[in-house]
Order: sequence, then C-alpha cells, then structure tokens
Amino acid sequence: MNLCFTLPDQEAGLIKPLRHGKPLRYCVPYDLNDDGGLCGDGWIAVTEGTLFVLKGGALKHQVCLAEVDEVLCTPQVNSGVLAVRRQGEDQYLCRFSMRHMVRISYAARGACLFCRGDRRLVESREREKLCPRCGRVLPGTSLCPHCAGKGGRTFRRFWDLCRGYTLPLLTLTVIMAAMSGISVFQQYVQRRFIDDVLVPAEGTLADVGAFFGVTLVLVLASLALWITNALWSNSLGTRISRDLRARTFYRINELSMSFINSRQSGELMNRVVEDAARVREFMEQAFSQMFSQIFIMAGALIAMFIMNWRLALLGLAFAPVGLALIRLSRRYERRLWRKRWRTEDKVNDRLQDVISGIRVVKSFGQEQRESARFHEYTDELMRITRRNEIFWATLYAGVTFFLTSGTLLVIYFGGGDVLKNQMTPGELVQFLAYTNMLYGPLQFVSRLPRMLMRLTTALERIYDILDEDAQFVDPKDAVDRELEGQVTFDNVTFGYRTYEPVLENISLTVKPGEMIGLVGASGAGKSTIINLLMRLYEVDDGEIRVDGIPLPKLSQDCLHRQIGVVLQETFLFSGTVFDNIRFARPDAPVREVIQAAKMANAHEFITKLPDGYDTYVGERGYTLSGGERQRVAIARAILHNPRLLILDEATSALDTETEYQIQEALGRLTHGRTTFAIAHRLSTLREADRIVVIDKHRIAEVGTHNELMRRKGIYYGLVMAQLEMHKVRGA
Amino acid sequence: MAEQKHQPKAGPDSEPDILQQEKKAVEEIIAIRSITAENTVFRRTQGGFVRMEFTTPEGEVKSYPRVSVHRCFPFSDPTHFISIREPEADGREIGLIEDLDALPRDMRAMLEEQMNLRYFTPKIEKVHSVKEEYGYAYWDVTTDRGACRFTVRTGGGGNVYAIGPNRYLINDIDGNRFEIPDLYKLSAKEIKQLDLFI
Repeated sequence: MNLCFTLPDQEAGLIKPLRHGKPLRYCVPYDLNDDGGLCGDGWIAVTEGTLFVLKGGALKHQVCLAEVDEVLCTPQVNSGVLAVRRQGEDQYLCRFSMRHMVRISYAARGACLFCRGDRRLVESREREKLCPRCGRVLPGTSLCPHCAGKGGRTFRRFWDLCRGYTLPLLTLTVIMAAMSGISVFQQYVQRRFIDDVLVPAEGTLADVGAFFGVTLVLVLASLALWITNALWSNSLGTRISRDLRARTFYRINELSMSFINSRQSGELMNRVVEDAARVREFMEQAFSQMFSQIFIMAGALIAMFIMNWRLALLGLAFAPVGLALIRLSRRYERRLWRKRWRTEDKVNDRLQDVISGIRVVKSFGQEQRESARFHEYTDELMRITRRNEIFWATLYAGVTFFLTSGTLLVIYFGGGDVLKNQMTPGELVQFLAYTNMLYGPLQFVSRLPRMLMRLTTALERIYDILDEDAQFVDPKDAVDRELEGQVTFDNVTFGYRTYEPVLENISLTVKPGEMIGLVGASGAGKSTIINLLMRLYEVDDGEIRVDGIPLPKLSQDCLHRQIGVVLQETFLFSGTVFDNIRFARPDAPVREVIQAAKMANAHEFITKLPDGYDTYVGERGYTLSGGERQRVAIARAILHNPRLLILDEATSALDTETEYQIQEALGRLTHGRTTFAIAHRLSTLREADRIVVIDKHRIAEVGTHNELMRRKGIYYGLVMAQLEMHKVRGA
Repeated sequence: MAEQKHQPKAGPDSEPDILQQEKKAVEEIIAIRSITAENTVFRRTQGGFVRMEFTTPEGEVKSYPRVSVHRCFPFSDPTHFISIREPEADGREIGLIEDLDALPRDMRAMLEEQMNLRYFTPKIEKVHSVKEEYGYAYWDVTTDRGACRFTVRTGGGGNVYAIGPNRYLINDIDGNRFEIPDLYKLSAKEIKQLDLFI
C-alpha cells in the first residue's frame, strides 16, 4: 500500500521551504472537513522532523515531532481523528473517513517513531483495494479483471488448463466435426429422396429401401458419435476441473499459514471453492454442449450459404433482433434473479432464525407474531416469483418468435423459387432444415459472452492463488534444525487490523524448558501472542526469535514440526482413536502410541471402550467426553514430542475429577519443554515458572506466582477475585 | 483517564479491602450517574477537545483532561442519553446526560461539536447512479456531507440492510457507512437504481 503519495504542486511548493530539505517520508490524503463534510483536498505530510496538515492548498497545522509525545490516530464511528499529544494534552489535527484510515494509521505510527527519535520507516504490506489504472475495485485479485481481461490473457489461462489434454481435445474436435458433417449430410440425403424418388413419381420401392438403408446408417453413426462425444467431453471437462481443484487445494494447503497473513483468508478461501465450482461448470458445459452446438451451427451455416446465399441471408434476417432482445433484457433479467435470490435468502434466514430460536419464541409466547412475520416474507417471495415467471414467459416467447421468423421468410421466398422452378422442393426442405438447426445454437451463443466473463473472473482469482507462491515460500537459506526451545519476543507490535494494535512493544525472553503462564482479561492479547509464535500472522513491528533465529528465517515446516498445541476445544478427525493420536507422526510404532496414551492418562479409558483403539470417532463416530478428547489431544502432543508447547485454555472445559488427571498428564507433557499456557482458572498455572500478565496490549507484570502475589498488582487482584468466587460457590 | 485513581492500600492483611473495592467497583459500574449543568463543568481545550470537572454525589471533584461523548441511540434518538466517557478504548463511562436539550446552550454546543467529531454516517439525499461491474456496485450520490462516490460489494449480502421500516444502512468496501433515512423520500427513478440491493 502506498504511504507516500506525490503532493500536488501547490501543496508541495508550500511546504518546500518549511521542510528544510528533508524528504517527505509519508504523504497521505485525507477527506473530511472539521465539520464532517467531505472534501478532496486534504493532505498529511511527514518528514523526519515535522508533521504537516494541509487543506485546500493552505497549511493548517505544522507540528514539530520532537515536541510531541505521541501521534494518535483514533478510530471513531466509521471515521477517524488524527491528533497529537503534548504534555498529556491532546490536540486535534484533522479527521477522515474510513477510506483513508489504514494509510493514516500507518503514517501516524511512522510519525510516532520519529517522535521518539527512531528513524525507521513503517511499511505497509496491505494490498491496494483499487486498480491504480482504472479505479475499479480489485475483487481479491492482484490484477484488475477489467484491465487484465483484455489481450487474450484469459484465453491463455484457458489453454493452460487444457494443455495436458491435447490428444483427447483433438479427437473430440474430429468427433464433433464428423457429427456436424453427418447432420448436414443427412439433410442432403433427404433432399435427394424427395427430388429423385418422391417428386418425379418414378421411384421404385427398392429406391425407398435404399434411402431407408442410408438414413438408417447415418442415424446409427450419428448416435454412436453422439454417445462417444458425450462420454469423452464429460470426462475431459471433469478431468480438467479436477486438476484445477487439486492444484488449488494443494496450493491452499501449502499456503495456508502465510495465506492467513493476508488478513482476508476466509473470504479468499470461500472464493476459491466457489470459483473452482464455476470453472468446473463451464468446462463441463463447454465441452459437452457448447462446442458441439457451435460446430453444428457452423456446418449448417456453411451449407446454407453454399446452396443459396440470398435465401440464407433472409433466413438470418430476424436473428439479430432476437439476439439484441436477449442482450437488452439481460440487465433486467439479472436484477429479477437477484431480487428473487434475496427474498429466498430472507425467507430461509427467517426460518432458520425461528427454528433455532424456537425455545425462546415459545417461552415468550411469540409464536403468533413470528408466523405472521414469516407469512409476510413468503407472500413477498410468491409475488416476486410470479412476476418473474410472467416476464420470462413473455421474453422467451418474443425471442423465439424473432429467431424463428426467418423460417417464415424462407418459406415464402423459397416457395416462390420452387414455383418458378429455380429451386427443387427437396432443396427447400433441406434449406428449411438447416435454418431450424441454427436456432438452438444461436440462443446458446447469445449466452456465451456472459459465460466467458464469469469464467474470466473465476479463472483470474484462481490463478491469483496459483501464482501466489513465490512471495510466501521460505527463504532459500531457511534454517531447519532441531530447536532448543528458547523464545524471544523483541519489541513486538501487532494488530489484526493495522490501525488497532492488539499487542504493543512486547519483549520477553523464555528459557528452554520454561513454562510461561499467560494471564489477562479476554481480548487482552494472550491468544494473539500464541498466534504470532505459531506464525499464523506476521508481526507488524519487532521480531520473534526461536533459538536466536528470527521466525521468518526459520523454515515453516521446521517450526510447525516442533510446536505442539492443545486447545480448549479438541478437534478429532473422522477416524479411529489410534489414527487421531498418530496424526502428527503417521509412522510412529504402535508401542510408542500406547506409551503416549499411557502418559496422557488416556490408555485406561481407551481400552475400556468396546472397540479399544479402533473406536471410530469424529463427525459420525463415537462421542468422547470433553475430558477424554482432551487426553487424546495430549497423547497426540506427547507423541509429536515438540520442543515448544502451547496450551490454550486446555483445562477450562473440564470437571474437577478429570481436571486432576489432565493436570497430571499435562505435567508430564510440559516437563522439559518450553510451554506457553493460557488459562482463566489461575490454579492451573501453579506449575508455571513465570507468569506474564497482559493488560492494555502490553506486558503489565512478569514474575513467579509468589513474586506477583507480593507485588499486589493486577495478578494479585485476579487471584483474590477467583478465591472469592470459590468461596461463594462453596457456601 | 481519571487524575485521581484510588490506589489499593498495600498491607499484610488487605484482602478484605480488595474485596470491598471490588464490590464498590461493581456498584460504580451499575449505578447510573446523571450529568447535569449543576454537577459538571465542561471546557473546550486548546487542542479542540473538551475537558470536564465532575462533582460526585459524595462531593468528590474529579477532573478529566479529555472526555469522549457517545450517543446511546445514535439513530433513533440522538439527543437523549448521551454517555460521557474516558477517552481511551477501554475507558469507562463517567456519567449519562439524559436530555441534551435540558442543558445550557453553550454546554450543549460543546458536546455537539464533540459528537459531530465522533460520528460519520452521511445521509444519502440523492442517488445519481449505481453501476454494477464484476461484483461491485459503484455508487454516485449526494449526501448531507457533500457529493460522494463509493463502492459496495454486491455478493454475499448484508452490505445494504434495513434498520427500520424504510430506513437503510449501506456499508462500503472501506468500512464507511451511509444512511438512507427514508427510502420513499427518494424519487421513483432513484429507487429503481437501488433495485440491485433493496
């Protein structure tokens, strides 16, 4: 994202003498007047020493950065305010809408560094939202579909997909050409039948038999070709789309960790699934119907023009009107569809809402009102559906009329030609047959541009992901070795949304084998610390090092191989208990698996199950209790034998009895491993070597349980409050 | 940012104290404290914000160098139940103003300035065009804050939604929000433009 725009000449000239030759480090636009009106002429410019706010070609504020404590970019409701803090008092500088929020927050952070004499520059890894060339929104792609869609790019992509299948493609083309040839030839046979046998009235039954034979052969041949074509094209379409899906899935799996870094992973992921489906749809349709239709149409057209070009033109005379009608109504049609979908959605949402909230509805006695409301929605849906149906019925009747009215002209003028003996009856029948063969494909062709456009966008987005690799792969000199487990957070700052930091200046060194308890209110940033350590996100500022190696230098595979995680909610895959324990090391010997299960206090309960280790768990399998799942997860982690261990609320969902067993198992698991444990129930952190209290995005307290109790700070308060709660429960 | 914050009394057996404080804190959170012209003085700061001195019912004077002014009902009732808060993201409420109109005029003006600074939801007065391309709709409108072009994602839904019989909110791709206070005050032609969404 660009953080250093070029100032317009007037503004640039204005601050040139004021910046004393220092270059502009950040220069971003802002778009609101002080009273909240929209404007397009605000600029914030920052050099290493000064922050300028310019408005309408005039200087509004000039702030010497050495004199301020902080530059604040505060989010408001759908907008933001830029201010500076001098000796504890805030001074307002300017305000802006969300359009410029991200940029300005980066610039403010950069200016803040300058305040403290830190000359580092802040960079933004975020993507631009708009195409710099045409100003359209980039739909999650790096290239604008409008600007990149031109110049045969999509065709190249398409070809790229089909490349592995040249031979089947050629065969298919031959089959389709043959099909087209046969259907053209069939009409010719018919003409000869009429002209040579029927009309002169001198044919014999033997002639009829001969024509019967020829027609039969042709029909059988075209049937055979038709079936082969259907089988081949379908399998080709599905194979190509399978390849595409396999490639994208593989790529997503490979990218996933860094993919999440782009901060829109969910959206992108959804799109890939959707887009792949779209491409598949196109492929299957294209090969099974579209191409053969086009071949048939081409064959018929060629035959028509060879026979009688004037009559051919007449036959096509009204087709453009029909096509134009289709095109013109498309916008409206789309609108109708969308309206219907939306109403359907609304009905479904409502239904979903009421059914899942049925207990609430019933307990408050609101059934009447809810069903009345539901009725309203279904009524609306009915009205819209009816209106749409009427529209389509009329439109398609009209389109078909125009497309086929060419036949009428052919009948009229062709009939005249026959009477004038310029044409034989057989020829006329043949010609009419060709004219009729055109109309089906014509309707198809009219849909082609839209289908192609949908394909373009879908392909673009998929290729965006397929092309993504280079950026996210481990560096060439990535370290991959056994880790000791020393973890250092060096001045780490991070926010999921860049303008709202969740962690600020976190510094912490953890010795190998040390257990750290992370404590703090929910939302304070405990889980974020762990996410950063797992490298699910990239830090915004500062560095995390494991064994002195910065995380980006460490191969991702190496890191994830040596991190083990036990979460609050344990996810078990569909499969046996055994498979689940062995998940992280599929080649682990059975003895080791059992050993791990024993250490996790899981062996006992597993062997008591009727199916033992073969018990099928997961979605539709045997349901284990929360404690049992947790112990399976611990066994998994023990078998995985990681150097770094993360326990995220691992014991919060358990009752007291199982908690003891799990604590014990966890004790064995954490022994000798660097452990980060998050827990709301502070008693579970007894074993922790040090406790880190996160408050207001920063580390507020660090120390052993006893040290922190003596300090009587936040931790002490939390412990006392929990003790009191227990007293209340006990009473 | 209260300048006076009670410090926990450190001592060997201060446990009951802490519990007392917790209870007191809970009471403080629950209580609705009214802010009136009698118990409060607001002053504009040089920096363009508002400072506040508040006398609690117990007679304690608390001063805040900057306060935030929030509406409890920004859409349905913008002049009642105004929450005066500490400005930090996790700041607490200092007190509530039940009726803005009951305050002296200059005090009201001061608070309104601050609220105007906080809220930005332009009201759409005229729709010039809504064009759709590649799954995004490009709006060209006039709002009460001036002419504006913005972009809304069309797929997925939820970017244009009703919050009352004829009142609609629109989220654009940047995170800005626009309001159509009454759909039927727009012309039939304009409403037709919105057909894509409404």
